[in-house]
Amino acid sequence: LSVLSPSDPPSPHFEDFFKMTCVKPATLQPKPENSITIAVSSRVLFNMDKEQQIFEQQGMEEYIKYQVAHETEPFSPGPAFSFVKALEAVNTQLRDLYPESEELFDVVLITNNHAYVGLRLINTINHHQLFIERFCMTGGNSPIGYLTAYNTNLYLSSDPVKVREALEQGIAAATMFTQEKMTEVSETQLRVAFDGDAVLFSDESEQIYKAHGLDKFFEHEKAHENKPLDHGPLKGFLEVLGKLQKKFYAKGQRMDCPVRTYLVTARSAASSGARALKTLRSWGLEIDEALFLAGAPKGPILEKIRPHIFFDDQMFHVEGAAEMGTVACHVPYGIAQRQKFSISEAQESMRN
Amino acid sequence: MVSTVTNTDVKQKDVDQAVVVAVTFAAVFEPETEDGSSIYRLGVALPLVQVLQRVNERLLEKNPAEHQLFDVILITTESWQQQQNSSIINSTRHHGLEVGRFCFSTEEDYIESLMQNNVQLFLTTDGNEALQATQQGVPSALLDTNWVSCPSEQLRVLFCEKAIFQLNMGSTEASKKSAQNFLAHLGQMKQKFGVFDSPLCFTLVTSHGGKDNCCCALKSLRSLGVSVDEAYCLGGAPRGPILSLLRPHFLLSDGFSLLEG
Repeated sequence: LSVLSPSDPPSPHFEDFFKMTCVKPATLQPKPENSITIAVSSRVLFNMDKEQQIFEQQGMEEYIKYQVAHETEPFSPGPAFSFVKALEAVNTQLRDLYPESEELFDVVLITNNHAYVGLRLINTINHHQLFIERFCMTGGNSPIGYLTAYNTNLYLSSDPVKVREALEQGIAAATMFTQEKMTEVSETQLRVAFDGDAVLFSDESEQIYKAHGLDKFFEHEKAHENKPLDHGPLKGFLEVLGKLQKKFYAKGQRMDCPVRTYLVTARSAASSGARALKTLRSWGLEIDEALFLAGAPKGPILEKIRPHIFFDDQMFHVEGAAEMGTVACHVPYGIAQRQKFSISEAQESMRN
Repeated sequence: MVSTVTNTDVKQKDVDQAVVVAVTFAAVFEPETEDGSSIYRLGVALPLVQVLQRVNERLLEKNPAEHQLFDVILITTESWQQQQNSSIINSTRHHGLEVGRFCFSTEEDYIESLMQNNVQLFLTTDGNEALQATQQGVPSALLDTNWVSCPSEQLRVLFCEKAIFQLNMGSTEASKKSAQNFLAHLGQMKQKFGVFDSPLCFTLVTSHGGKDNCCCALKSLRSLGVSVDEAYCLGGAPRGPILSLLRPHFLLSDGFSLLEG
């Protein structure tokens, strides 16, 4: 566990990469209770900005007409695309080691679109050779019922309202945004980065930070070092990633594990960091790298780590990460959402 | 002996253009009458009958001269029910149900009655009845008592794959054709409304096979003129949870007889 500084990103294993692209993975669908179900909405998996504009400016009928007319034209990748590809890479490696096991990632496409618009999405999935066999076209209804009915472990969407609904139902969820810049990420190792408070942990300590500032927060955390924090909305997702990691470790793949997790937190190694690590330990969870920034911006560190996805409850950090090319998503949970203005919004209003 | 009685309370539909839907007595009414009267209590299919009526109302709002409407027939499928003909007529009128005709038949001849009345869809809560009617070429659907009784402003029809044991039964060419005709009617009715606020909602659920299988189903429904709103490709996941969520009024599969819950 590296506490003080991040390690350099490992060099890609080209032999493994070529091996994976040549071997055709099995197409057997795992049962929902055994697999790790990741539900992604169409607008985060693919870039549908142009079509969204048509919908907003010209209405539903024109939008559907347009989509049907362009049914065979694939969409280009959206912010969740590389994450989904990495999930598939992990599945391939899991199937190699455990051919009979159903403990795999199972990606489900969720869309609000009507079924005929969905055909273009399916064509796009085939074009990009994604292994998504389950989908849900809700024709305008909320997908939340489906998500709870089918054991969803993580839900990614561009719609913050749906994300909040999912969180309220106890499903790990985050809002993703179209990003102008998305730096290249590994095609063989899935990297997932989490903020600590109000993401992995509850927002109890963040409430102290909001009320009394960073120094008071550090003091409080040091004083309560041995009391585990309550869990946050993404704890369960870290847990399932940990289970998969153990499967790789069991086959001797600890050093170059295809799944790697990171904690990127404003907590400080000197004071408040210990409580975070002890909480994780009390839960029986491990995290590969913990980066304690003591309040410094997260963008530069994330740019070094190159995670496929980074979860944070504060838009300020999400935006900061995205500006530097990290795919960052917002977990609308806890005290940070109740602020009238986030720091970035305040800066924005000053610019106008 | 089958007898057909017109319900004079209800305006009769156009013989050529109406879509004839038959619902069994046992679905519409409870087997017991209200205390001290000969009026039957309403059963699980009341909301279904009401929503068919609602679709008609919406169609007529769009076009007061519309003839492609649902024509609902109430059919008895057991002797004892046949003998209660006057009570059944009275109960129907008492509750103000938009039932155009009554077919008083028994277990022996109800299928003949369905055919004589050009029934395009037979709805029943009895699995055997649905099975037998399908085998004789009358498109049928089994009503699930859990979902059919949910009140709704929208008729929710769910399309799904054949039930596995249908491979043995097979459906005749004639019944396939009738099924397609019925689907085409549904599609035409739906086309009269826009995407929002439609009184008809069509959903496709495929349990087995992958997404390409589901897409083929979507395309073939499209070729019949049926515009599907929602589609769920379950990829082997169990169907129960999504059906509980969707609560369709009835399910249609290729052979029009679904015998699974």
